[in-house]
Amino acid sequence: MMKKWCGTLAIILCIGILSACGGQASEAVNTSASSSSAQETGDSGKAGEKDSVTQVDPNAKIASMSIHMTNNLLALGIKPAGSAIGGGVGDFLPHVAHLLEGSAKLGVVGDSDMEAVLGLKPDYIFIDEHFGGEERSKLEKIAPVVSTNLDEGTWRDHLKRVAAVVGRDKEAEAFIKEYEEKADRVSKLIASELGEGATAMAIRVSAKEIRVQSAGRPVGPIMFQDLKLKPANGVEKISASEPYAVISKEVLPDFDADAIFLIVNNDDNAKKVYAELENNPLWKNLKAVKNNHVYTLDGQKWLDYSSLGQSMAMDDAEQLFTK
Amino acid sequence: MDGKAIFLLRRKRTIRVAIILLGVALTVILISLNTGTIRLSPTSVLKALIGYGTAEESMILYEYRLPRIIITMLAGAGLGIAGAVFQGVSRNTLADPGILGINAGAAFGLIAYISFFRSLDGPAALMIPLFTFAGGAVIALVIFLFAYDRYRGLLPIRLILVGIAVSAGVSAMTLLLSLRLDEDTYAFAARWLAGSVWSRDWVNVWGLFPWIVVLIPIIYYRSATLDLFTLGDETAASLGSAVTRSRLILLALAVALSCASVSMAGGIGFIGLAAPHIAKRLVGPQHRHFLPIAAMTGLVILVAADTIGRSLFHPNAVPAGVVVAAVGGPYFLYLLFTTK
Repeated sequence: MMKKWCGTLAIILCIGILSACGGQASEAVNTSASSSSAQETGDSGKAGEKDSVTQVDPNAKIASMSIHMTNNLLALGIKPAGSAIGGGVGDFLPHVAHLLEGSAKLGVVGDSDMEAVLGLKPDYIFIDEHFGGEERSKLEKIAPVVSTNLDEGTWRDHLKRVAAVVGRDKEAEAFIKEYEEKADRVSKLIASELGEGATAMAIRVSAKEIRVQSAGRPVGPIMFQDLKLKPANGVEKISASEPYAVISKEVLPDFDADAIFLIVNNDDNAKKVYAELENNPLWKNLKAVKNNHVYTLDGQKWLDYSSLGQSMAMDDAEQLFTK
Repeated sequence: MDGKAIFLLRRKRTIRVAIILLGVALTVILISLNTGTIRLSPTSVLKALIGYGTAEESMILYEYRLPRIIITMLAGAGLGIAGAVFQGVSRNTLADPGILGINAGAAFGLIAYISFFRSLDGPAALMIPLFTFAGGAVIALVIFLFAYDRYRGLLPIRLILVGIAVSAGVSAMTLLLSLRLDEDTYAFAARWLAGSVWSRDWVNVWGLFPWIVVLIPIIYYRSATLDLFTLGDETAASLGSAVTRSRLILLALAVALSCASVSMAGGIGFIGLAAPHIAKRLVGPQHRHFLPIAAMTGLVILVAADTIGRSLFHPNAVPAGVVVAAVGGPYFLYLLFTTK
């Protein structure tokens, strides 16, 4: 009896070990493949080596599986036939929803509704490797895939890349030029309001925590490069590959920022948290608060690191600093 | 009435219940196949199933819907059986992979896996059951060592208590590990812990399939031992059962089964508890009768829960585990209160 069971267990173990070895081998292949492709993309500095198409008619039926991609297309004057939606709102993001009227909703970003994509019968599918990369092989069965990668380059690069594919380079250049002019204007406004070389930080208040945004994506580049603000003490210490760090409000004075860019999440609990913070003596004694240099941002636009989102954020900044 | 007559009566009843459940299961699966963004008529579903559908229809069925449904079927059956074995082995009707901490161990294994490999697609997916099993097995071993008494063997009641304690500890460690993950991976881990059927591809089906079809027959073959356990350890030993050893083997099999199931379907806890209870009420306590019923009940519950979860709040899907708990909990209470 014992022997028989030892035998069975041994067989199960063997199966386990065998499948483990098989799995590991393929895993090794997998990782080496992905690391080499990462190197390749690093060398050329462009995404989309895997794409089979390089030219797309802008009037074709395009399905966009990333919100950034959708907004880059919109910036070029192309309305995708269908687009991914934001998971938080379960719909198109509010600041671009009016531009997407009539477009099909293709499921939450990163968890695409394949049936909806298939039902749309798109001519091309535009994705961002950062989000729907793992769905690529499934999407390729539906239509040719065009991709960008959010982790490579700035939104300008992503916009140019998409523009090159749809043959709208001029529009992209015009868009970027307009943005830079706006940025110039607004940074002068800010300098006259806060003084040259003023330091700033961006704070996001959610229901659970207070976050300080890093100098990286999404709000770092526009604040510290385009608007020429200086990162407040300690902002640089937050890794730029992370969007933010969670802090406790006790350390807020350490940042000693001349100006605070504030995003309060659009839910009642976050607003309650902010109301409490506002009445906290610690907050009231911050330099930026005492000098009335706290600016409440339209979070959707600022946190949207796409060409359209950043441009809208710049408009928002212009309004905030125009008196 | 003598023993044989009772046995025959029970078997008849089991067959009847099994046929009814089979019908329910088929209905649920068919409804599930019909659920999705694109409306397909039941006839076109059937046509596509047997290979006469349009290319689009068969793509929807074979690429998108069927793999997920098969995973919920396999995992549901696996969880039902695993729960039944845990309850039989520990002689405690509260035992369940979730309560015993096995799921917590499996979760730890999964988080360890995504911390190291970060990739969940392709052939790597076949490895996931191994990691969850490793995690679950380590926890089972720890629980076992604590619950083992040199003179009296494995103490069933201690098994549960130790399980609860160990599971709390492991959950804390899992949480700690998961906090170090980046946001996307963390979101995945959190969804997994809530019991979200994340696997959608055939590769995941093949990752889970061998575990289920190998382990369930082995357990079924040992079902007589499970019956002996219910008599108490002394009686079982005097009837010729090597109590501790059988208990160990069955426990190991059940751990493997539940860990493989949750690896693909997410940390769904309640089925292991509810399915055996429902099955026992339907066909009585003999394991050879109620094990298959428990498997079918688990299957029906999970397939139904996942179908409800992904259609009710479209486009934001609700994890199947949440649906199971929300619908199953009250129903389970009702069962407990209406029977003596």
